[in-house]
Parts: sequence; C-alpha cells; structure tokens
Amino acid sequence: MASLKRLETEFPILDRDFQSFCALRGIFTVQDFLIHDLQSLVADAEQQTSSERFMQAINQVLCVIDGLHRPWSNGVELMEDAQKNKHVLSTGCEGMDFLLRGGLHKGQVTELAGPSSSGKTQFCLLTASTVAYKHMGGVIYLDTGNSFSAKRIAQFLNQISRPAFDEMQPIVLQKVMNSILCQSVFDIFSMFDVLHCLESKLKSQMCRGDNDEILIIIDSISSLITPILGSSGSQGRALMVSAMSLLKKLAHEYNLAVLVTNHTVGGDGGIPKPALGESWKTLTHVRLLLSRDCGSDTYHVSLLKHPSAASGKAAKFIINN
Amino acid sequence: MSEADVKSWINGDESAKRMLDRVLTSRPSFSLPPPLHRIPLRVANVVEIAGPSPSAKTQILTQTAVSCVLPKVWNGVHYGGLGRPVLYIDLDCRFDVLRLVEMLRHRIVQVNGCSSTAGNEEILKLSMRQFSYIRCYDSFELLATLKTLHHRLQKEKESNGIGGHLLMIDSIGAFHWVDRASTTLPLGGKNRKCLSLQNVLEIVVEDLRKLLLIHPMLVIVTKTAIVGTTGNEVKRNFKRWPSSGTPDTSSELERLQKPYFREYMPSIWQSFVTHRILVQGSDDHLAMPKSQENDLAYVSEWLLPRLNILDKFVVRDAGVFLVS
Repeated sequence: MASLKRLETEFPILDRDFQSFCALRGIFTVQDFLIHDLQSLVADAEQQTSSERFMQAINQVLCVIDGLHRPWSNGVELMEDAQKNKHVLSTGCEGMDFLLRGGLHKGQVTELAGPSSSGKTQFCLLTASTVAYKHMGGVIYLDTGNSFSAKRIAQFLNQISRPAFDEMQPIVLQKVMNSILCQSVFDIFSMFDVLHCLESKLKSQMCRGDNDEILIIIDSISSLITPILGSSGSQGRALMVSAMSLLKKLAHEYNLAVLVTNHTVGGDGGIPKPALGESWKTLTHVRLLLSRDCGSDTYHVSLLKHPSAASGKAAKFIINN
Repeated sequence: MSEADVKSWINGDESAKRMLDRVLTSRPSFSLPPPLHRIPLRVANVVEIAGPSPSAKTQILTQTAVSCVLPKVWNGVHYGGLGRPVLYIDLDCRFDVLRLVEMLRHRIVQVNGCSSTAGNEEILKLSMRQFSYIRCYDSFELLATLKTLHHRLQKEKESNGIGGHLLMIDSIGAFHWVDRASTTLPLGGKNRKCLSLQNVLEIVVEDLRKLLLIHPMLVIVTKTAIVGTTGNEVKRNFKRWPSSGTPDTSSELERLQKPYFREYMPSIWQSFVTHRILVQGSDDHLAMPKSQENDLAYVSEWLLPRLNILDKFVVRDAGVFLVS
C-alpha cells in the first residue's frame, strides 16, 4: 500500500513535516493509518504548531482512504444492477435448472460436490457447452485433472442443436468451441495467476464495454485446495479464503457465473459429505450434492444451501451419452 | 461564566416530556422480527447472531432489513415497518439483493394486494432507497469503510436529518484466516504497529465504538460458529483459543451441550458484543399443512442475556416464520 512519501508527489500537503509527525507515531503508509486510531492522531495534531496544515493533511489521507473501499450503493441501484446484469444461465439440465431457480446465477459461486464418478465433470462439460451455445458467451474452463474433453463438448453441442439440424454446421461448431477456453492448472498458485490475468483482461474489456466471458468453471477446485490445507498453520486456509474472495469479486464486478466442483469425504455414518471442512462451507453461494446409483445413468442432486431457495430440495436428471 | 449563563443553566434546557420525545426519536428502540423479537433492542446495542453454516443467518439479516426499511405509514396505509435506514457491510459477499426485493414485495402485497402495481413499485423503491450496501474483499477495505463512515453519516444527517440507523455486518469472521496469516513488510521504525488479526479487530471495535458514540445505531453482526469436532482436536484447539469474555458458567454449560462451538473471536470483540443469539439447524423437518414440501426447521436461543426459551422457525419464500 502507498507510503506517505510516495503520495507527496501527488498531494504536496503531505510534506516532510507531516511525514515526520506521522513517523514518530509509527505511521509510514496509508495502511498504517487504517490500523491507527485517527481521533488520537487528530488530537495530537491539534497540539502541534502547524496544526492547521496537519489537519488538512489528515483530511487528505482520509480522502485517499475513501477511495480504497468500494463505493456504497443503495438498494435501488443494486436492484437495477441485478436486473440488468445478473442474468441466469441455463445449465442444459432441466432438473438442475429447476432446483437452482433457473440455472447458474451471474455474480454467484456455485459448488457442486459429489463422490468420484457421480457426474461432476460431465455436468461441467454440459454446462460449458450450453452456456457457450445458448447464451453465446465465453467460458473459462480451469481443468485440474486433465479431464476436459473437447470431443465430449462437440458431442453435447450436437445434442443441444439437434432439433434444428442433424449435425451442427462445422462453422457454427467451430465458433462455439472457440468460445470455450480450457486451461490446465495444477496448483493454487497457477490458478491465482490465471485469475489475476483474467481480472486485468476483464477490466480493460469492461472499459471498452465488450465483455463476453460469462462463466468460469473450475473442475475440481478441491484438488487445488486439499494439498495446501495442512493440519496446522493458517496459510492454507488463508489461501483458500483469498482464492474464493477473488472468485466472488470477479463474479460480482464482471457479471460472471462461477461453477466449482468439490469431492466428498465420509461424514457421520459413512454418508458422503462435501470435503474441505468447516471454513469452506461459508464461502460459496450455492452448494449442491450430487450422487449416482451404481450402474444407472440417473443423477440425484440435492440442494445443501441457496441464498433464495429453501435447502433440502432434491431433483433427478439424466445426462445423455 | 456570567450570571445569566448560570441562571439559564439552572433553569434547565427542556421539560421531561420534551426530553423523552427527543430521546425516543434520536435513540429509538427497535422491535425486530423473529427470532430477534424476544429482547427489546436499542441503539448502541451490538447483537451477534452466531451459528454454523447454513443456519439462515443472512436470511435473518435480510428479514430484519425488510422490516427496517419499510415505512410505518405511507399515504395513509399502515405498513408496519420502522422506516429507518439500513447500512449493510457485506464481508462474505453472499448477499442476494433479489431476495431482499422478493421479501419486500411479499410484505407490500400482503398489505396492498396486487391491485395497485404502480403504487407497490413506488413503495418498493422508497424502501430500497433506505438500504445502503457495500462489499469488502479484505480487512483493509473494511477498515477504510469504517474510517470514512463517520463522514458519510454526517453528510446524510445534514441533508436528511435522520439518525437511528441499523448497521449490519455479514459476517465478522470472514477474514479470520487471511488476517491470521498476514505479515507486514518491515519498514521504518520499531514503534510501527504491525498488522495482525488482533490489531485489525481491535481497531474495528474501536472504530465502531466511536461511531456509536456520535451516531445512534443498532449493530447486528453475524458470526459463523465453528462446530468443534470430537476428541483430540477440541482439546488442542481449545488450548490455543481459550474462550475468554464469557466469565459466567454458561460457557461451561455450552461445552457440555452438543454440538460444541469453538470461539475464535478475540476477547476484545466478545466484550464489545452486548447481545448474542445462537441459531442452528434442527434435525426436524416440519411437514407444513399448506405446502407439500417439508420445511427445514431452525432453532434459535438467546445466550446473552440468557433466556431459556428455544424458538423454532422455518424459512419460506416470504421470510422467516416462527413455528413454536
């Protein structure tokens, strides 16, 4: 965070006198201001000979601090933003869309948990295809286990468009496939890398007003997080929380839907429950638990948590081969 | 001091009736919807809603915001709200504005019926304008928000003249892990305060305390309670974070009860909180006669002050409802 010395070039009122006044109280950066009691600082400043200049300087720093947080918005603005920008993306699965009140909501992070071979990756691929085709939006697919299959995507796309054509026009297929970007990431640091790059790209696109990315899929986020969640120490959890914070920020500021998958572990009585523990539970907006009976192609999904629907609801769906 | 000054001082400034009127308008009490209805809450109270995830904490906040922003009477129609501004600081970034709108619409339609759509929209907008929202992605943004909140409220007071806000923070422990792991670059002198979990919360409490002195507000904060697991882990973690600040024997009792909640907020926060309510999911699914679906039931219990009443409630489209 900016040091006072650096700010002097922009705001000459923060001169050397003021800097040494602050340095005496252990304040060197704007960040130090934040963790300092401003009232006692003001009281101190009033005792000084050049109190007027110091007060001006403190007010100047307060203005800088005012720029550090997001602007307040009132309910009407929020409502308009939600109605205009926070659309719902159909997943291509009727049962799932019904459960999720229409599908994946932009601005929200949806977690899909389930044991191995319960259809998580299939669902991700289907959603990627549906969103790219029906909503004509870009999809960022972060693949952590080399399970992304372009062939399967093409297959899904052909299924989705079947009522219109027998086989999708190669040109259309190519265009839709081009809007799904797959990136392999194998540790949380490269995920941060990708997301930070994406953020700066989205920021510049936002200025030009052409955002086409509308969905981020991370399959599976738990394989990135599990290795860093050691038994002791807070670094791992700190990384997990900041990663989710970044995802929620991207989702809200740039109107993206985020879908992440999680594996399951045995809970009470051997019933599978989502992995990653207690502190993970609060991080996502929507939590789904997926399961499949052995040998059948019917998937069962139940809602563990949703911001606007009662939890506990369940649905069934089939993903065609 | 001149004689006239002394005389006017002795004469007093206002009658008891005027003072009561003034206090009731500037330091109002809030009658809030269930499950917060058991205890009369006043400005300068700090209420903590604790509960594991999910336990309808954000839902309770949204419901409370609805009855707060809705006007009491408007155009001769009684809406039964408090007509007070709400400030919502979202640290979890999981607030759903459409849910707030949905619940407000329910309340308005309940009063007006669906007949006057234009009128309903107007009252909705009027209420929504009372709602202010900010999201913070890290502790710095929270501190920057609190540091500049005074100026914002001051400006608002000058232009509207209304005080008595409801300040909500969802949820206070959101940056716990990030702050625990954070380190500051060594720079400058030895007297520099370093950034740590303890320091951040100390200054958050300090800033809130100062805000409450100047601006009459009721503060409602949610906190994710961490369910302690059995066996060694509890012992180990318990040693690390002794739950201080609750000197009464109730904490002893809580520990015996199942499940056991681990306190992770520092004592400075715990002594700042004046009221605490615990919410948690209950295992019962209540079959409601009206709807075919089973509603998931939640249980709330006041821990501070301790009331030995358990309230059971369900969450439906229209909001939170008591069932027993």
